[in-house]
Amino acid sequence: MRASNLKSTSSRLVLQSRLLFVLIACCLDLRPAAAESDRPVSFVNDVMPVLTKAGCNTGACHAKAGGGQKGFQLSLLGFEPAEDYESLLKEARGRRLFRAVPERSLILMKASARTPHGGGLRLAQTSSGYQSILLWIQQGTPYQQPEEPELLSVEVQPPRGIVAMQMQQQLKAIATYSDGSIRDVTQLALFESNDTAMADVSASGLVQIHDIPGKVSVMLRYQAKAAVFTAAVPLGAPVGEVPEPNNFIDNYVFANLKEIGIPPSPVCDDAVFIRRVSLDITGRLPTELETTEFLSSTAADKRDRLVETLLKSPAYADYFANKWTTLLKNRRDAASDITSNFAFHAWIRDSLLANVAYDQLVRELLAATGTIIGNPPVAWYKRVKEPKEQLEDVAQLFLGVRLQCAQCHHHPFERWSQDDYYSLSAFFSQIGRKPTATADEDLIFHKRGVALAKNVKTGIDLKPVAFGDSVGDIAADKDPRLILANWMSSPENPFFAKALVNRYWKHFFHRGLIEPEDDIRDTNPPTNPELLAALEKHFLDSGFDLKELVRVIVKSQAYQLSATPNEHNLVDRQNYSRYYPRRLQAEVLLDAIDLLTGAKTTFANLPPGTSAVALPDNSYNKASAFLRVFGRPDSNSVCECERVQSSSLAQSLHLLNSSEIKSKLATAQGRALTLASSNSEPADKVREIYLAAFSREPRPDELSTAISYLNEPAIDADGKPVEATKAAKQNFQDLIWAIMNTKEFLFNH
Amino acid sequence: MTNRFRLNLNIVALSATTLMCSGAFAQSVCLPAPRLLTTMPMGGQIGTTVEVTISAENAEIIDELSFSHPGITATAKLGEDGVPIPNQFVVAIADICPAGIHEARIMTRLGVSSSRAFNISALPEAVRVNKNTTLETAMPLQMDTICNASMTRQAVDFYTFEAKQGQRVVVDCAAKGIDSKLTPVLIVADAAGNDLVVERRGGAIDFTAPENGRYVVKAHDLTFSGGPYYFYRLALQSATVDELVARLPSTKTVNSFSWPPHGLTDDAVVAEVEPNNAGVEIQKITLPCDIAGSFYPAADVDTFEFTATKGEIWWVEVASERFGLPTDPSIVVQQVAGEGADEKLTDLVELTDVPSPIKVSSNGYSYDGPPYNAGTADIIGKIEIKVDGVHRLQLSDLFGGTRNDPRNIYRLIIRKATPDFAVVGWALHMGLRNGDRNALSKPVSLRGGSTMAIEVLAIRRDGFDDEINLVLENLPDGVTASGLKIDKGQQRGIMLITADQNAPRGLTSATFSAKAIINGVEVIRPGHVASMKWPVANAASEIPDPRLLADLPVCVSGSEVAPLTIAPAEEKVWQVVVGGKLTIPLVHTRRCDLSGKKISLKTFGAGFEKNAAFDAPLDQETSDAVIDLAKLKTPPGDYTIAFYGSAVAKYKYHPEAVTAAEESLKVAKEKAAAMVAEAKNLADAAKTAPAEQKAAVEAEAKAAADKQKAAEAAVAAADKNRKAAVAKASPKDIVDIVVSQPITIRVSAAEEAPKK
Repeated sequence: MRASNLKSTSSRLVLQSRLLFVLIACCLDLRPAAAESDRPVSFVNDVMPVLTKAGCNTGACHAKAGGGQKGFQLSLLGFEPAEDYESLLKEARGRRLFRAVPERSLILMKASARTPHGGGLRLAQTSSGYQSILLWIQQGTPYQQPEEPELLSVEVQPPRGIVAMQMQQQLKAIATYSDGSIRDVTQLALFESNDTAMADVSASGLVQIHDIPGKVSVMLRYQAKAAVFTAAVPLGAPVGEVPEPNNFIDNYVFANLKEIGIPPSPVCDDAVFIRRVSLDITGRLPTELETTEFLSSTAADKRDRLVETLLKSPAYADYFANKWTTLLKNRRDAASDITSNFAFHAWIRDSLLANVAYDQLVRELLAATGTIIGNPPVAWYKRVKEPKEQLEDVAQLFLGVRLQCAQCHHHPFERWSQDDYYSLSAFFSQIGRKPTATADEDLIFHKRGVALAKNVKTGIDLKPVAFGDSVGDIAADKDPRLILANWMSSPENPFFAKALVNRYWKHFFHRGLIEPEDDIRDTNPPTNPELLAALEKHFLDSGFDLKELVRVIVKSQAYQLSATPNEHNLVDRQNYSRYYPRRLQAEVLLDAIDLLTGAKTTFANLPPGTSAVALPDNSYNKASAFLRVFGRPDSNSVCECERVQSSSLAQSLHLLNSSEIKSKLATAQGRALTLASSNSEPADKVREIYLAAFSREPRPDELSTAISYLNEPAIDADGKPVEATKAAKQNFQDLIWAIMNTKEFLFNH
Repeated sequence: MTNRFRLNLNIVALSATTLMCSGAFAQSVCLPAPRLLTTMPMGGQIGTTVEVTISAENAEIIDELSFSHPGITATAKLGEDGVPIPNQFVVAIADICPAGIHEARIMTRLGVSSSRAFNISALPEAVRVNKNTTLETAMPLQMDTICNASMTRQAVDFYTFEAKQGQRVVVDCAAKGIDSKLTPVLIVADAAGNDLVVERRGGAIDFTAPENGRYVVKAHDLTFSGGPYYFYRLALQSATVDELVARLPSTKTVNSFSWPPHGLTDDAVVAEVEPNNAGVEIQKITLPCDIAGSFYPAADVDTFEFTATKGEIWWVEVASERFGLPTDPSIVVQQVAGEGADEKLTDLVELTDVPSPIKVSSNGYSYDGPPYNAGTADIIGKIEIKVDGVHRLQLSDLFGGTRNDPRNIYRLIIRKATPDFAVVGWALHMGLRNGDRNALSKPVSLRGGSTMAIEVLAIRRDGFDDEINLVLENLPDGVTASGLKIDKGQQRGIMLITADQNAPRGLTSATFSAKAIINGVEVIRPGHVASMKWPVANAASEIPDPRLLADLPVCVSGSEVAPLTIAPAEEKVWQVVVGGKLTIPLVHTRRCDLSGKKISLKTFGAGFEKNAAFDAPLDQETSDAVIDLAKLKTPPGDYTIAFYGSAVAKYKYHPEAVTAAEESLKVAKEKAAAMVAEAKNLADAAKTAPAEQKAAVEAEAKAAADKQKAAEAAVAAADKNRKAAVAKASPKDIVDIVVSQPITIRVSAAEEAPKK
């Protein structure tokens, strides 16, 4: 859709969605309500939905996954009705049902709170759910009715729509059965908003939109099926001229902004750009020289040239190696881990430097064999030892699928079953290990044999299948991990490229097109699906070229928008109408402070001058209060959420008054002491500090404020004048300290 | 910080040559042995003379630096005063000396030291002298040279070279393969130091310069360790586009001793032909065959098809890991029935590793096997053909799934049974105290009265099962060797090397071999010897790293004697009838104080290993060893056995040094006293000297006073040396292996029992 055609889309879509709803409602062959007393009631199709809607089978109540309160155990969200039927009828000596006097059944007495119930009142006696269960008991507690249809699908109506802020939208849940019948199950379905700041949804499916524009989804669950409603919430502000698009990203971003009426901020200036893109690609501030050269350049393509320079620099590899090694759990648990950790980190770093294609990088990791020194990706199998962990980490990290739930039960938000889980596990079933001279370190090889994994619940041996996709029979000689790698890197793979481009998008825009970035599922749709698809295609067409992906993202005008909001887009959190500022992450901030102060943080076993973003593993967190306080992760999880980006009082105190910061400010040969003893003009000195900290010249008011401070006579704690040389040192330390504590320094913006 | 807060409010909108004797005393296992630790440089160019500086441990008196090849000779470097400079030698490399790695070692007070690799090359060599840990201090390298250096800890060593656009340059680094502790990382960077190519897996960098200019080579250890033991040789070679540039030479791994099979030539070798991976892409071969191929590309499975007849037995051998490559070959042989779509494959045999003949030490708490692995990931196995017809052999590398490296080559031999064997030995290790996991380099440098055990393992080929006799010849005077044979069907034997109590100081290059009767003919195979590169005191903190040696020097130090000798009371053949009990009186000769009252002894010798351990008293001069042949079920025959255990000696290190130090102190004191007197006299003279002589006399007095001070300083130094010598010579508890002198036994059949 061309951007120019989108101006009136908002009102058109509203109208279309309403017409569609009316049309569907008219056409539905909704089952007429039978007389209550003779309506046949099925445990599967009638009772289970009631129990689920009432929350009986949630983790905190009676779900097995949560332990099952008072010994009453149901499958989570009712995914195993046969087991639940057994549990209800036969366990606890059958005392939960009282067929002679059905209304005295324990399940009804508890649910209606007529007898003490930890969960309180779940079903009023007058509710239809209560009546359904009562009727079912009266009818002899049948599991299913003869020739009872099976639930095939559930859909939400409408599936999408444009809903204005502060407005409501009623959703309807329609179930389709194997006999062709459909049924309105709105009252029995579960609804859940994926962003409660944008929209809430009631138990009966009434969506309340709040005052944040963008896309919000509501998930509908009914039995083992799910559907999703997506609402576009327009701001409705006039969108005039948008920046001239640099590439396809801009087309999709600006089209979306026009659709929902959010005017973008203008493109940022050069000073902001060099600082931003340097931090995002290399994790470091530009030097004063780099900044000066860039700002003085008149080349029309100087931003593109800068991007190329940054992508070529080893700092790019260092920064992204830091990202990947953390997610790949390059964790030091024992002193002897140092060799494997350094080797693994170096392998990632060197691969990124050489721009090894992403699919090849993942293949080398996934199907690693040999020793760690000979083939460093083997180190991943030192950290992630069990097939269960291996498949879960691979699914979440490389495919964006959180599959952990499916180990024990059907995935509550997705279509993945335990068979899917163990079929994926089968790819890792033929990993052979031999001990090495290093404790806790094995060499890895393909153990000849047919790959199989047992579904622990059914006891059935399953062949490798990748998320429902058959990969054919794998011969005993073939390493199934290579087959999995083939499947992942196939252009048709619906997860692999998508997960990566979404992860990288989030790296640069600070919010994924899908959030969380590693939770890709039908019920968690992207905020801009066309953009995500285009990025995915671009990545595939480039041959999984990671640098090209970075290149196309940062060269877009969307990336280069100013972080300063206009009168409309301050509320925008997901449409990329401006750059969302983010506090520098721990390692980047430490390096930035070192650059600003001229101090050198030293790290054990590493050469002086090694930057914090180049640290190979988490062991340095123990010795560095700074890294801990600012949330450097300990590589325990494949989730980026392990990195703490939130603010804390400890962070403020550390920056304001810690001995570490004080010593950096006062470091010998540091910037403060060097400037204090320099003969250059005070204005030049202040400019140097501003260029180092903010990549820009000081404004006149900033310059005069700083110079006047530097010229102030200093007094000590007793009010006595401080000797001039000493005072100069102190004043420069103060000036740098003050600049360090500004948001402009602490944030990438 | 008040000012800062105020401002914030305003602005908020805005040397390797040292001898290391002390190391020996940090450990409480194994008596000190001399060890050559480093040479700098680590080699030289053929036909040149180089100055070499060494470092060593337990080697305070060094007679000579010698090499395993006669074409390399060394003399002590003399100072300007004509006196040898400690630890420095002038090494001459003759034109006849072949390029490659040779052994360097020193002769010391305690005998011959452990070896260190010494490299002879055809390229000019340089030594890094000045610190080069920054781009600014990078050392320029000439093309086609080798630079010798040691890595700086927590640093990167920088070098630069000039190259023209399109010029191919190969940068190689020898480290692990020349005994270094360095795990090298090589980087080629641009002139500004930005990394261009990185190699961290021990390979060379094959670099083509993108433009004319200066380039930087960075080198560092994988974990940024460093120091004198992290030495390396960096080679920079220019090459034409298709030129094959050989890697820098490397010492051999222990398990390479079993390759090649005796008499193997390249005469009949044929090349693997790709594609030969599966289905119709199969390489037809006829047996026997000898194939050279490579595990390339990634996940390569080379498939060969041959016809064989029921009852045939073919032996298969694959070499790849033994070439020093990071591979793990695996073979599956299948019978093929039917054709095309009806084809059916039935597994016949799967062949993988050759296990170590005995359990290798694990990485557990305590010693549970030798820290040497004679096994290999290569293959030696057999195929027994069950049915006539077509068979298919698949050869793959279990480590090759994702690796694209044509250098990972293999040799596949399928042959009729050719029974044979290969042996390798190393100085015996055993647990000496609870939790001990030492893996020390142990030169065969004998103390008078001592017996040293060499543990010998055999890899048997193609069904060879008979006994193997071990022989050690060309020994120094006063030294004898007894090979405790590798029994039929067994894979372990012991070689005992014994020095007489009064054996004179001497050094020879011994010849180690193994003999057996194969198909009625005696065959002799060279014995290989392995040693640790470094004295690893604790294998939990440093992984033992052994290699094969080029030769086996055997030495008697002549300076020390064994703390304890256990020997049979008589040197004779001890006779016993089958099933009888043999009592062997033993004599204990103690030469220093020993801790504890007894030593627990076990038995070496084919068929006698299961003899129950027994205690011998340490506070008595004799004991009896009783062997119950009924329990051991020893058949008639001649046997050589020995008893072994461990004892803790109150060992005094180099007590003669105390006497020497005391003498030096005495001399220094005398000299100082003389200087004091002279200074006093001159001072007195200065006071009374006539005016015209006063200045001159005062100058003499001052010079004498200075000499007095120097002499007094010399006294202090000599006293310090004496104290150090006394400390070293004070008794220390050191536990070591004690092996009895060999004992020969003849077990006779009952009816042949001789009268006593």
